Amino acid sequence: MKKIIIVALLALFNVQFSMINAQSLTGRDIAQKVKDRPDGNTRYAELELTLKKKNGTTRQRKVTSWAMDEGKDTKKMMFFTYPGDVKGTGFLTWDYDQIGKEDAKWLYLPAMKKTRRISGSSSKTDYFMGTDFTYDDMGSRHVDEDKHKLLREEVKNGHKCWVLESVPVDKHEIYSRKVSWIRQDCLVAAYVEYYDKLNKLHRVLTIDDVKKIQGFWTIQKMEMKNVQTEHSTLIVVKNSKYEVKIDKSLFTVAKLEKGL
Amino acid sequence: MIHFLTILLLLCCVPCSASAQDGDSLRVNVKGFVDTYHAVRSEQPNDWMSSRTRVRGEVTIEKGNTGAYVSANLIHNAILKDRSGFQLREAYAYYSDDHWDVRAGRQIITWGVADALRLTDIISPMDYTEFLAQDYDDIRIPVGALRLRYSREKWCFEAVAIPVSSFFELPTDDKNPWSVGQLPIGDEPNRRLSNMEYGGRLSFFLSGIDFSFSALHTWNKMPVFCDGIGQYSRMTMLGADVSVPVGKFVVRGEVAEYLDEAQTFGRAASTNALLGIDWYAGNDWSISAQYSHKYIASGDNRNSGLATFRISKELLHNTLALQSFAYVDVTNGGVYNRLSADYAINDQLHATIGYDYFHADRGMFTVYKKNSELFFKLKYSF
Repeated sequence: MKKIIIVALLALFNVQFSMINAQSLTGRDIAQKVKDRPDGNTRYAELELTLKKKNGTTRQRKVTSWAMDEGKDTKKMMFFTYPGDVKGTGFLTWDYDQIGKEDAKWLYLPAMKKTRRISGSSSKTDYFMGTDFTYDDMGSRHVDEDKHKLLREEVKNGHKCWVLESVPVDKHEIYSRKVSWIRQDCLVAAYVEYYDKLNKLHRVLTIDDVKKIQGFWTIQKMEMKNVQTEHSTLIVVKNSKYEVKIDKSLFTVAKLEKGL
Repeated sequence: MIHFLTILLLLCCVPCSASAQDGDSLRVNVKGFVDTYHAVRSEQPNDWMSSRTRVRGEVTIEKGNTGAYVSANLIHNAILKDRSGFQLREAYAYYSDDHWDVRAGRQIITWGVADALRLTDIISPMDYTEFLAQDYDDIRIPVGALRLRYSREKWCFEAVAIPVSSFFELPTDDKNPWSVGQLPIGDEPNRRLSNMEYGGRLSFFLSGIDFSFSALHTWNKMPVFCDGIGQYSRMTMLGADVSVPVGKFVVRGEVAEYLDEAQTFGRAASTNALLGIDWYAGNDWSISAQYSHKYIASGDNRNSGLATFRISKELLHNTLALQSFAYVDVTNGGVYNRLSADYAINDQLHATIGYDYFHADRGMFTVYKKNSELFFKLKYSF
């Protein structure tokens, strides 16, 4: 009897603790948890991007990328492997976590045999290579670049989610707000709605294939659809690897010029 | 050898994906394109200025840290018959590890931060057979060189040695619409060790700035007409360049001192400086402007200036690219402006139409003042 009472008390304490924990989670806390989701110190992936027009015609881009964390900063190297006219084009990015510190970016154009320093701040709101993803969507946005609000908890596509509203601090962003359904089991968004400046639904992101690879939750497939133009982009992530043996010398202009 | 390379080039036409295997296995990477380019003069006699079709193949073979790269063209040129046939572009072997990169053979070497202007970027000369109407990578002439590069995270040192120099190609055949006329050009320097070019470049890549210093003992590779004959002379270049990103802008600067440069009146040093600005305006707009100034330490015409302007916009999910690129001869008032529209019909096939506009009464563009042309290009990449 004594044991039952102790177990009951512990269970009650646990429930109360969980409720307090859930109640005390702010929108920012959830956004920070998503950003801090473990993804290894180094990463490798091959991406296939399929752009689909309203009439059904498609275009494809293929990209190979490496990334390495250095403290809170991240270095990335990316090469296009398809189509042929951009094959060999490379991007080197040093992403800084510190707000206000511009990312360092270089672009290598094989036809020109030349590397160019490019602006670290301008391209964030531009669409990445004609897709429906912006450079910001593809990279990691600092948590405090948006004001976050936890709206509710609900089940989306069979997953228990936090529903989070994020409003950009900078009014020059291309969206006025976004609403994200964050899966509580893996801290990956299952669904995101982006609203334009007139607060009309603009783009919808659906992530329906998330798997654990080497112990890390990994997005395998995601689709961004512009509901206003009905143009969409499907990204399939292949051959994801974590904790790959890469030296930081990979993330240099010399290696960018050397190519794959 | 040429037959072997021709077969290799034809093999490039067979689509072949790069094989990504472990570092010690043999990796073969093939890419290239087939393109056809035709241009017609927009004023009388409305003759064809260019009509050429080619296959370009680029093959990289790599095993471990060593590899080889070959790029070559097979060309049919209906206007300039002697330009038809096999053309080897680059062919070099390399060794590359985490910090060292050694490259030996025929290669294009580019320095500096200027866009389509050459101040410190004077190793690989230019092929003016069709002036600037060719693709930029076709205009650069590869040089037979040894390039040694040592790189760390934020800096890189590069040393180059060019035993046998290459020089500008200037068309003097009257059948070529881009001919600069019958010019008496003297012999190129003898191929001997003392005529070797050599130099180095030390570059830094930091979070808010890139900069580099360079030095090159070289030749004036564009013949300088002194006493009625085009001549090549020794000179030394000392240079520096810088790129600074500032918000949506990147400011670029380059300076080069040509010591003992050949001039039409003899020898004199010249100071060359460039200031450029790139504006990444968003929504796939890109705008850039440059001004380059040359000051010669003595002589009658000491100052000259050249400016460039580029504006480009991509539309329809980056399938349509519109661009205007202009050279402005500030000293003489001449203009060369290339307007183009490039549309990606599908992933492999691009169609480009455009117009080259020349206007000049004096200066470097005068010889081309009747060469304004409409052009069309179709390019299949693999």
